[in-house]
Amino acid sequence: MAEGAELTRVIEGCKSGNADSFAQIVDIYAARCYGYFYRLTGDRNLSEELLSELFVKLVEKIGSYKGGAFESWLFRIAANIFHDHLRARQRRKKLLDAKRTELEAAPTGSPRCDDKDDKLDRLQIQLNRLDDDTRELIMLRFYSELSFKEIAKLRSEPLGTALSKLHRGLRKLRELMEG
Amino acid sequence: MKNPDPDNLKELFERFMPPSDAETAAGEVHAGEDVLRDHPAPQPRPEIIVGIKLQINDKLAGRHRTSHSLYRIAAAAAAVIVVALIGYLGRAPQSRSNLSRAALIPTAIWESDDIASDDFDIAYFASEIQQIEAQVRALEAGEGENTGAGALDEVEMELMQINAEFWKE
Repeated sequence: MAEGAELTRVIEGCKSGNADSFAQIVDIYAARCYGYFYRLTGDRNLSEELLSELFVKLVEKIGSYKGGAFESWLFRIAANIFHDHLRARQRRKKLLDAKRTELEAAPTGSPRCDDKDDKLDRLQIQLNRLDDDTRELIMLRFYSELSFKEIAKLRSEPLGTALSKLHRGLRKLRELMEG
Repeated sequence: MKNPDPDNLKELFERFMPPSDAETAAGEVHAGEDVLRDHPAPQPRPEIIVGIKLQINDKLAGRHRTSHSLYRIAAAAAAVIVVALIGYLGRAPQSRSNLSRAALIPTAIWESDDIASDDFDIAYFASEIQQIEAQVRALEAGEGENTGAGALDEVEMELMQINAEFWKE
């Protein structure tokens, strides 16, 4: 994880159009951003598409980054890309409903899955039982590693509201996983 | 996954509820996040990361490349090279000008200085063309084991084969 001055140097390189600096940003943030998209969509291919879109968008928008928490700026773009995807999904609701049914119908602990895959599937299924907004808030908090104040600001909602939603959502998720 | 816990959750919750409830709520949040940590998301595939970096390079260079457009351009360039070389080889030896390297290397396809690192297929394509170029130069200089009309036919056949391969993509 690049920290402080090192990250600032890399970002300055990006602003200068340096391809190596962008490659470093990809190396630093790809796993977290992919995890964010994957946990919101439950779809590896789609998550890869969104990840690709995110970094291409980053190239376009890096000039508008004026300092502050880079993660906050990056995850704001990621959240916007996810919302764009949701809007597109609404237009293709029929097709994606079929896919969701397929995912929900997947048996928990498929005998072909090893322990790790089993855990991944189970969490994804339980995450899908949370409402979209709560799931997004939980994933934003977990993968962006931003403070609650930054998250509340990013989501343009009061701190107490974000805190309350996260608390209820994580408690419910834990209950679902233990149930 | 790093969890710096940049907030003091208990303190944050205390703004909205009694201290005892705040402690419970903070504990529940931490426990919920432990569930997420225990179930890590899969990692993006390495080839996807490579692809994203290539896309970024294209974007920075003002190119908008997709695999389809890349192969279309490569195929078109291959066809042009075949036609140009056949025309060149068909002329009398004395009328041939010096073979220009720039005419054979597909700069119209790929402007990068580092073709090999940019795309394996283009590197392969360039390598084949360079090999043909060397053969043509040898023929032009009268070198090599086979310098007769059969050699020209052989080179022509190789060029045709390269062109056909690209049109398959």
